[in-house]
Amino acid sequence: MSRLQRLLRNQTRVDFPELWKTTLKVSAALILISVVAMLVRGVNLGIEFEGGTVWEASAPDVSTADVRDALRDVGQADAKIQFVGGDVLRVRAELDATDASSVAEVSLALATLTGQSLDDISFNSISASWGDEITDKAIRALIVFFIVVAIYITLTLEWRMAVAALVAVAHDIVITVGIYALFQFEVTPATVIAFLTIMGYSLYDTLVVFDKNRDYQRRSALVGRATYTRIMNSALNTVLLRSVNTTITSVLPVLSMLVIGTLVLGAVTLAEFAVALLIGLLVGTYSSLFVAAPAAAWLKERQPEFAEQRERLEARAQSRGTTVHDVEDVAVGPPSPQAAPPAPGATRRPPPTGTVIPPRPRKRKRR
Amino acid sequence: MSRRSLVSLALIVAAAAGLLAASLAVGNRPLLGLDLKGGVEVVLVPADDPDRPVAITEGDLDIAVEIIRDRIDGLGVAEPDVTRQGNRVVVQLPGISDQQRAIDIVGQTAELRFRPVCSLLDPEADPPPTQELPTPELDNRGLAPCPTGIDVTALPTTSSADDLLDRFVVLPHRDRLERYLLGPSSLTGAGLSSADSRFTNEYVVEFNLKGGDEGADKFDEIAAACNPPSDFCRTAQIAIVVDGTVESAPVVNEARFGGSGIISGNFSEQEAEDLALVLRYGALPIEFQDPTDPQSDSTSRAVSATIGGDSLRAGVIAGIVGLALVFLYMVVMYRLLGVVAMLSLGVSATLLWVIVAWLGETQDLALTLAGVTGLIVAIGVSLDSNVVYFEHLKEDVATGRMLRSSLEQSFAAAFRTIFRANFASLIAAVILYWLSAGSVRGFALMLGLASVLDLVATYFFLRPCAQLMARSPGLMAHPHRLGLPTREEAMPAGVEAS
Repeated sequence: MSRLQRLLRNQTRVDFPELWKTTLKVSAALILISVVAMLVRGVNLGIEFEGGTVWEASAPDVSTADVRDALRDVGQADAKIQFVGGDVLRVRAELDATDASSVAEVSLALATLTGQSLDDISFNSISASWGDEITDKAIRALIVFFIVVAIYITLTLEWRMAVAALVAVAHDIVITVGIYALFQFEVTPATVIAFLTIMGYSLYDTLVVFDKNRDYQRRSALVGRATYTRIMNSALNTVLLRSVNTTITSVLPVLSMLVIGTLVLGAVTLAEFAVALLIGLLVGTYSSLFVAAPAAAWLKERQPEFAEQRERLEARAQSRGTTVHDVEDVAVGPPSPQAAPPAPGATRRPPPTGTVIPPRPRKRKRR
Repeated sequence: MSRRSLVSLALIVAAAAGLLAASLAVGNRPLLGLDLKGGVEVVLVPADDPDRPVAITEGDLDIAVEIIRDRIDGLGVAEPDVTRQGNRVVVQLPGISDQQRAIDIVGQTAELRFRPVCSLLDPEADPPPTQELPTPELDNRGLAPCPTGIDVTALPTTSSADDLLDRFVVLPHRDRLERYLLGPSSLTGAGLSSADSRFTNEYVVEFNLKGGDEGADKFDEIAAACNPPSDFCRTAQIAIVVDGTVESAPVVNEARFGGSGIISGNFSEQEAEDLALVLRYGALPIEFQDPTDPQSDSTSRAVSATIGGDSLRAGVIAGIVGLALVFLYMVVMYRLLGVVAMLSLGVSATLLWVIVAWLGETQDLALTLAGVTGLIVAIGVSLDSNVVYFEHLKEDVATGRMLRSSLEQSFAAAFRTIFRANFASLIAAVILYWLSAGSVRGFALMLGLASVLDLVATYFFLRPCAQLMARSPGLMAHPHRLGLPTREEAMPAGVEAS
């Protein structure tokens, strides 16, 4: 069976614990880069957060596209262009009003465009439209949100899962913001909303993976015969296709937005928003499998009953001269008959059928 | 069972279609944001106030901007754009074609005053007003003993021209059920620093005063005059007056407040919020020129969209192309199940449209470009519910379960997962909505809606669909049509399911 076929049948044999060794290093590196980028370069806040300069000029016969072209030449392609009362052109750009030469450059461009003298172009400073109050409240709300969600996950799953899920969410936010800092993408209110969307998505995705894992830990044929991490590995293999599919269905619209938004000149907002979402969605799925899962496994292995089980399994494996892995590979294997001879010593349960989840008992055979 | 599934399916489809039809019939349309459709702007220029001791600072203007923003966007979903441009405050509102309405929303900068209440009067003067109020003898606190020896029943309501800080006035309550004889006061909204509605055992309004002589001390002086009631404040009440109307006249329960207080009085949530709004709104640090006055520098004008039509078109095309690709992918992946998933998506998208249109009409919920794209993403993500279910199904079939029973039983297991994950999103949405402001609040609303609608569509559409499919002999004989392996493929020969 090809890899793709196996993926489509949820019968992949990806060794997640082995992958985690690499991905955790990658994640650590990404977080380090992000933090350094944030500290060194900072985020490039847009006019909505920092204010800027506003120009006004009478411009009855000018189109938005003309203005956009003129502004692009002076490096202000993402300025906000608006017509007030029909014929007054208003341009807002993230440019410090005290930066006289840059302001004059834009004024000149507008004067040339509208065929007026420089004196007819007025400019002024403009304050932020995203108030500090909004930021303060949002931060407070986020803190409460983290606490309540932690409690919720603790109640429905357990505290270890809550810790792992929140670590993953934090991981995603740090990396997404870090990429913004690194490439100096402009942070607009839309971007903030994109960050929040990512946070919600990341959490949702992690919870789906955890829920499947819990389900699996309960009904897997491996219970009592493999370490927590190995059982989780099997669980992750069965949700892998779901993760891939969900990512594809979420990413396709965003990707189409990015491509079309970039092709169509002027759709800067669209393109930037799409970049934030795209990165966030990918990182969000990645973190569920490669950050939240290892974090949860690490915490669970330190729980006394699972630690004991691991020791017991290792001791048994040693006495038989096999490694722990041998036992599992048999159990996790695909349902091809030749690949699944019953492992010796595993006869306490009915011989494995080669599948991981035994059918739940049925009352009667119907047909 | 089959009939119940059909009924459920018919109900949800009929509900979605009916609501859509009703929504279109009453003309509800989503309100497009400033970036997409433009709107109206009101430019407020500070009035020349000769009495003002110090010049207007940028700080004053910034506070005014915050207050106006808060006032306009109480629900946090209208996405207005309020900025200070030079020494003007520019307020842009989406989608309003009527400039007068924009001005009404932005409102006038009425001054808030706190006055001790001398006595309560009938709503109408009877017999016809004959008496005049004496000029108060102000003490060093700016208060004066209530007038004596006049027939309070025969006092006229004070005209707005005579409604001065250092006079006795007779003003009506907001509900017109009462009038009050009020003493002079020197405390205005400028002494307030904040006010908010809160729920403890009931809805109350909590307010904070600025420190020192500016606010807290003055308030305590009036409070001391009212508790215990004295000649300065016979009724022990303090009236909160805005624009010649008494908004509220709470009884003073303490002599010292030390900078903050709580107003209670069996308020409904709305009443408490309105009162808090009045306290904040009245606390504007600057008086602006009246935009309705043609002589003034304040104006209102229509403004165009900030994003060109090309961007909007690009966004719409991108959305359609994206969804088409998703559709294609789902159908290739899950065949008939993919079609069902897209129909389920159609149901939740229709309901979402109806709700967004309704909120746009009633609550000024504005859809910006970011909002629209966010919704498209939310739609893509909500397909996950279907994917979780289909994968669960596949897994069950692969372990040798009968397709027929799997269709229903997998749903139960998958729905638990979907529910838990969506519930976490819902918690996030509620908290963010409750505690945040501005666009973040708008986001929270959308997140919450998307989560709930996802659950609704999954439970009321996907589930009956699954049940119906389980009844179709044609489908059961050809699992490939559902993107599922046949029993033989799932269970290779030699290994028999128990």
